[in-house]
Amino acid sequence: MLTITDLSFQYPRSQSLALQGLSLSIPTGSLFGLLGPNGSGKTTLISLMAGVLKVQKGSLVHSLPQTRLSLVPQEYAFYPRLSLQENLDFFGAVQGLGGRELSTRIVEALQTTGLESAARTRAEHCSGGMKRRLNIAIGLLNRPQLLFLDEPTVGIDPQSRHFILQSIRAINAQGCTVVYSSHYMEEIEMLCDRIAVLDRGQLLLEGGLEDLLAARGRGKLEELFLSVTHTGLRD
Amino acid sequence: MRALAALLKKECLLLLRDWHALLLLFVMPAAFILIMSLALQDRFQAHGKVSASYYLVLQDDSALAHSVADKLAANPLFQHLDGSGVSQAALEARVQSDAAQFVVIIPLGFAAAADGKNPQAMTLGIGPGVEPALRELFSAALREALSLAQMQASLADLKKQLGPYAKKDALAKLELKNTDALIQRKALYQQNGAAELPSSVQQNVPAWLVFAMFFIAIPLSTTWVQERQQGSMLRLRSMGVKPWLLLGGKLLPYIGVNLVQVVAMLAIGHWGVPFFGGEQLALGSAPAALALMALAISFASVSYALLIANLVSTSEQATIFTGVSNLLLAALGGIMVPRFVMPLAMQAVSLYSPLAWGLEGFLHVFLRQGGLRAVAPEAFKLFCFGAGALGLAVLRLGRWRRD
Repeated sequence: MLTITDLSFQYPRSQSLALQGLSLSIPTGSLFGLLGPNGSGKTTLISLMAGVLKVQKGSLVHSLPQTRLSLVPQEYAFYPRLSLQENLDFFGAVQGLGGRELSTRIVEALQTTGLESAARTRAEHCSGGMKRRLNIAIGLLNRPQLLFLDEPTVGIDPQSRHFILQSIRAINAQGCTVVYSSHYMEEIEMLCDRIAVLDRGQLLLEGGLEDLLAARGRGKLEELFLSVTHTGLRD
Repeated sequence: MRALAALLKKECLLLLRDWHALLLLFVMPAAFILIMSLALQDRFQAHGKVSASYYLVLQDDSALAHSVADKLAANPLFQHLDGSGVSQAALEARVQSDAAQFVVIIPLGFAAAADGKNPQAMTLGIGPGVEPALRELFSAALREALSLAQMQASLADLKKQLGPYAKKDALAKLELKNTDALIQRKALYQQNGAAELPSSVQQNVPAWLVFAMFFIAIPLSTTWVQERQQGSMLRLRSMGVKPWLLLGGKLLPYIGVNLVQVVAMLAIGHWGVPFFGGEQLALGSAPAALALMALAISFASVSYALLIANLVSTSEQATIFTGVSNLLLAALGGIMVPRFVMPLAMQAVSLYSPLAWGLEGFLHVFLRQGGLRAVAPEAFKLFCFGAGALGLAVLRLGRWRRD
């Protein structure tokens, strides 16, 4: 269980808080959807949970070592001039993996993301979908127990999206807790059992997806989302 | 150790696949060394000629005027161009258009002084592109020719008057003697144990090598910014990679690249320049001092690059800032314009450029046969500069990680 209590965060030189007194729980083994308009604080929250940012106020408690956490950022967080294999070799080695163990993990990651046949291709020559899958494959090298996926399906075709969503389900089915941030409501509806909705650094909703839809009398997540965040433009 | 090895391997692979960086780090300085060494070859040759020529308009038919013309023509430093049949105005126009550097006009009545009348002064026309040193050199040569001609004429006259009264031995002493033998030139530069004047390649390789080594700041800082922008730095942070490891992962491979640059540029000076007709670079007799200077310059340049990489936000900023600052530091440090031609105030300011320290250190090795003791002050300054820049980069990186 990842428990967040009264968490606040402010970026240097910023006038406002990126997160304000946020409290929520993410059950072990869940597939947790994180929703919110642009600038709502999703990425900040994920960065804090993944240990990239330091907690300033409040607490964030879980029992896992840093080595069992994994972050898949929104950006293509790898080296375009290296091949997929070289990228995986590199990111595995900086986490202390080597030899046969690293080879096994790379094969696993390539299989999970359907990239075995492209292992020797340079990342810069891959399609958008392959790059997204490589981004995820790198995040799987440490066999994470808590995986943070920050908008992992942006800008890819339906086939790649479908494959990625199936892969995430499979990863979660193996016991990995997944925190999934996205703007695509249908993805969250398909994947997640629990969700949280953030806006302007505050938690607006948290709970089981079915329970929240029923309690608010909404049939679709998008209706529920717009009812709490409203329809005004944010940027 | 495994993480550091992975960072080093990654950096080497990225660099080897970056043709722009390789061109910038190896081809550009190699071209500079070849072009500048060959272009300046005559200026530094031990028995080199000054490339200057002149026209002579001899309007006076006196023995003195002819004697001046002959003596000037005998000077091996200047080439007499035939301007017979061409008007004075046309010859001046040629000098103005840089076809020759000087035109000397010896007017009718020039030798009148010998007859006790008012002499007509000769005119020295100077081309617009003639640098001051060359102008003074030619003026001195002309003065020398005139003085010799006048003295010879006076002595001949004296001998004629004394002839009936003086002994033969005494008259012989009135001959002008060649004074060249009374000046022994000694080059305070040695190559392979023999005193010589340093060649252009000996002067150019150190300068352009230091310049190239500092240009490593461009690929290093831009890759660092790209890693930050693309998210791979964020990913490494999430994997718990320490800041010192990130910096070390850049520092070590790029120092390695700098050392490869040193070997490559010295090889070009030693074998490449002679292949194209230039002189050979002598590698000096102090390999330890050379290695120390190479390390010191490399540490300073890579640390400077890391500092810039952590100060700027975009790769465009990194490219512009490193490129411009390198050019300014190079100009200030005597890479493009030798420090000895700068005014004293500029020379004093140039001592604050790390490129000047690097160049001075290399010149100790390549020109002055200096050893470790000679290069130690420059190496120390470079290591201090590098440590300062690296310290600031660490501070900045730490702040960025906290943001």
